[in-house]
Amino acid sequence: MIRYLLLVVDMSRAASAQDLRPNRLACILGLCRSFIREFFDQNPLSQLGIAIMRNGLVEKLTDLSGSPEAQVAKLDAGKLGSPAGDASLQNALDLSVSLLRSLPPYGHRELLVVFSALATCDPGNVLDSAKACKANNIRVSVVGVAAEVYVCRRITEETGGTYGVALNETHLEQLLLAHSSPPPATSAQAKAELVRMGFPQRSTEEASSAVFVGLEARLLSGNYTCPRCKARVPELPCECHICGLTLISSPHLARSYHHLFPVPPYHEDSKERAEEAAGVLIRQPAMRDEVPTSTGSYCFGCLREVSQPGAAGQLHLTLRCGRCKQVFCFECDAYVHEQLHNCPGCEFGGT
Amino acid sequence: MRFNLEGLTVYFPYEYIYPEQYRYMLELKRALDARGHCLLEMPTGTGKTITLLSLITSYQLAHKEVGKLIYCTRTVPEMEKVLAELAELIEYRAKYLGRGPGSNEILALGLSSRKNLCIHPRVAEEGSRESVDAGCRRLTASWVRERAAERVSRGTTEGGEEGGSSGGAVGEIELCDYFEGHERAGVEALLPPGVYTLSDLRDFGRKHGWCPYFLARHMMAFANVVVYNYQYMIDPKVSQMVSRELEKECVVVFDEAHNIDNVCIEALSVNLRKQTLEAAGRNLGKLSNSIRRAREADAARLQAEYNRLVAGLIAQGALRGGEDWLANPALPADVVQETVPGNIRRAEHFMGFLHRFLAFLRDKMASPVVTSQSPQVFLHELQERVQVDAKTLKFCYDRLSSLLKTLEITNTDEFTPIQLVADFATLVGTYAKGFAIIMEPYDERLPQVPDPVLQLSCLDASLAMKPVFSKFQSVVITSGTLSPIDLYPRILNFNPVAIQSFQMTLTRDCLCPVVVTRGADQMPMSTKFEMRGDPGVMRNYGRLLVDLSAVVPDGIVAFFVSYRYMDQIIAKWHDMGILQEIMQHKLIFIETQDVVETTLALDNFRRACDSGRGAVFLSVARGKVAEGIDFDRHYGRAVVMFGVPYQYTLSRILRARLEYLRETFQIKEADYLAFDAVRQAAQCVGRVIRSKADYGMMIFADKRYQRHDKRDKLPQWITRHLKEAHMNLSTDMMVHVAREFLRAMAQPYDRGAVGKSLLSEAALAALDAAGGLDGAGAAGA
Repeated sequence: MIRYLLLVVDMSRAASAQDLRPNRLACILGLCRSFIREFFDQNPLSQLGIAIMRNGLVEKLTDLSGSPEAQVAKLDAGKLGSPAGDASLQNALDLSVSLLRSLPPYGHRELLVVFSALATCDPGNVLDSAKACKANNIRVSVVGVAAEVYVCRRITEETGGTYGVALNETHLEQLLLAHSSPPPATSAQAKAELVRMGFPQRSTEEASSAVFVGLEARLLSGNYTCPRCKARVPELPCECHICGLTLISSPHLARSYHHLFPVPPYHEDSKERAEEAAGVLIRQPAMRDEVPTSTGSYCFGCLREVSQPGAAGQLHLTLRCGRCKQVFCFECDAYVHEQLHNCPGCEFGGT
Repeated sequence: MRFNLEGLTVYFPYEYIYPEQYRYMLELKRALDARGHCLLEMPTGTGKTITLLSLITSYQLAHKEVGKLIYCTRTVPEMEKVLAELAELIEYRAKYLGRGPGSNEILALGLSSRKNLCIHPRVAEEGSRESVDAGCRRLTASWVRERAAERVSRGTTEGGEEGGSSGGAVGEIELCDYFEGHERAGVEALLPPGVYTLSDLRDFGRKHGWCPYFLARHMMAFANVVVYNYQYMIDPKVSQMVSRELEKECVVVFDEAHNIDNVCIEALSVNLRKQTLEAAGRNLGKLSNSIRRAREADAARLQAEYNRLVAGLIAQGALRGGEDWLANPALPADVVQETVPGNIRRAEHFMGFLHRFLAFLRDKMASPVVTSQSPQVFLHELQERVQVDAKTLKFCYDRLSSLLKTLEITNTDEFTPIQLVADFATLVGTYAKGFAIIMEPYDERLPQVPDPVLQLSCLDASLAMKPVFSKFQSVVITSGTLSPIDLYPRILNFNPVAIQSFQMTLTRDCLCPVVVTRGADQMPMSTKFEMRGDPGVMRNYGRLLVDLSAVVPDGIVAFFVSYRYMDQIIAKWHDMGILQEIMQHKLIFIETQDVVETTLALDNFRRACDSGRGAVFLSVARGKVAEGIDFDRHYGRAVVMFGVPYQYTLSRILRARLEYLRETFQIKEADYLAFDAVRQAAQCVGRVIRSKADYGMMIFADKRYQRHDKRDKLPQWITRHLKEAHMNLSTDMMVHVAREFLRAMAQPYDRGAVGKSLLSEAALAALDAAGGLDGAGAAGA
């Protein structure tokens, strides 16, 4: 589940309109920043690049890469200058084709355009470029802010993308963030392929010591070591700057794949469930010494005390994983399902 | 689906039906049951055509005594559309009724002029309608064929086989293979049941070697559904030869009939220009020559004609070569069934008579002042000056056609001018009331250029419609815009058994009419005569279009009140830099009076909309574009009507007509003018909504639309969406409304919405049981 997404922000004349607060561009840039963070949060292995449309041209701001903060820093209204001229959808499509064409075929290739303008001023026929996108399996999606433009509707339909027009700021945010979860896989991309990846260990040096890390040789106190060439890298996920191996950690992988293999939902604990679970759990090795609690029950995630199901004066709702039969508190349930995408009980080998 | 409508089984080719379609059918059925005429208004985009076809063909099936369905359309593309929908319906019906003989199969065909149907390799290439007609006649006139037949028989006796090849050229006399093929087949030349569009007819003709035009004319007698042009029903010249044979029980439908009164009037009006008269003079010279030649060569023929006229045979149609040309321009009931008066029986005398009449007309045209006369005054003057009386004038047309046939003239297109003059004469002679003769020495707009026109103008639309209403049992007049609907029966002078205006049920508010009365500077906007020249008003109109083009995606259509005003305002906008500002957002295309140019502009307009560039089309109410071209979907996301499209009120013809309407039908001048203007405006803005999935802004930019007399005349399906808050907007408020509206419309919407705006078969059955839609209005929801 690897996505390559080119985000194109419209900075034509229309982006200076003030129907969104404070104006369209500022609003869009702000939302794009949160979109990029959300995107990498949901798809840690994916890559994203940014371009802007202005004066009938498309300017590439960043190459495709996997680090959110570098991208977010580029999307600053002060540095970008003011909106001007026309927007050209065709140039955006052409850029996406040239950038995304050479990427490995197992990834999703996507173009997301945030379109303020109501017209596209193109050097040629935009529909030809749309065909090229389709031929290269690029999925074009458009988020409009003003009104429905026929050509956008047509291109998105042809390439299998989505088209939404925002009613207001909140709706625009919804539309944008909807693109952070990956699209359904198309049959053309369904073939399986093996990708080599490394899972580096975090080096456990003393907190006070520091080493030179990464390409820029920054002095950092913690780092990861590439399992193949033993180079030190500062953060995950990234590509090793020496051997080019993709370096990630297991939670990243889990987050990327949670759309495919979601953690089974926890159910509210009840007396019957607790009895059934006790029968299963008794046969398993304990993870560590039981946590002594007054109620005799604790959350498997945070080890906090929770009340027994059905007990009088139950304070917290408790939940139980259907697979590993462990008890979780409400907060851990949210954390597991919304961010971690791994059930600690199941990972521990409960089943 | 198949459902029961008050005892009638209706076959409807779709799975669901709109409630308004159901109501429409109900109303139509009741009118047919009552054997009366009806007037039905239903918005476009609600499937009016299929509803009509579906009900009437089902009715025909159940009631064998009902005759043909005669479906009149305005244009050939509309005709094709009707036939395509009918084909779908028949296909669907076949599922229930089966195929093959005895299964009530339908024969439906479109009928058009020779120009659209001819398949003769050379004649079909001719440019105009008249020249194709003439080309055809040259090959198929009875005397040409007789002569060819003579030659063939002589050829076979003398020389043997060489002339025997039946088609093509016999000696130097050329005949049409297809016509001959059709003639040979005689009554055997039949079309198998089915739906035939014009191109189907041509293909069929080619395959069998039969002439499609004559085949279609022949098959009209056997067809269940005939689709043809308004003219074939209304224009007495055409209808007499095409529609005479139709039985009384036929159901006649006029679709898109909002302009039917104008069609009626045109059918009975004749315009003579200076060039026409000159050409008619030359025609006379030619005719005299051929009379002289005929007298020398074959005096017996002229004598025979004389004898025939004496015997009065002309009225009985026993004239040789009595094919379908040169029919009398007057209405059948008014054609005199008497013998031709003695003073024009001889060909030479008739020539003299025409010479005198022509001289009189020429004399009239030389006058430098505008005159308007009633027919009586005109006739009196005629009698005084050149001793021509009304009785003789009446026969002018018949006499001319008799003469042309006797002289065996085939190139009739050359003789059009003299025919026009004869038309004029016959109409003036026949009608004393409801006409005006108006002479204008120059065009009002260019007083320095002499361009005299002598117009015989029909003032009464009911004249041409009267025979239709009296002849046929049920006449259905329908359109998307017939408001105010009670005015039509008065203008056309008939008593409908049903008058109904239907609403469109919508799942969302997809039309947004607004009335813009002020510019952003709060100055009122109007095209009132005193205000239209004001640069402030022009600038405000310009700003409106600039602001609109910044918020509306894809296509915008703007209508002006006249070409003249459009030219003026565009020039002003250019000076003010408004055009350049619009160009920043959209391309600009302009309708001109040149058809080719306009077609090209439209084509490029569509391309600009398709490719996302966006475009504005500047057009004129009452123009070609306003009447026949759709701006559906993204081609028209907004339509602006700049001003109220009143007719040119100083026009003599309009003055005369208004006076006549006031005296005869008690219709106030202002009422009629407002009605006519608003119906044009409604036509224009109606161009953008062509289906329920469509959406569009409708902007009425004139402060006069705010007034009740205008607003009430708009069709209900528009006024229903006109919110109280949108009736008095300034430009900036309008822009805000447009922005909100377009955003809301861009949201995905559920086409299904079954039950709310669509009725399934089961829902209909329940409705029928509950006693109609009104009785159980909520049952469908």
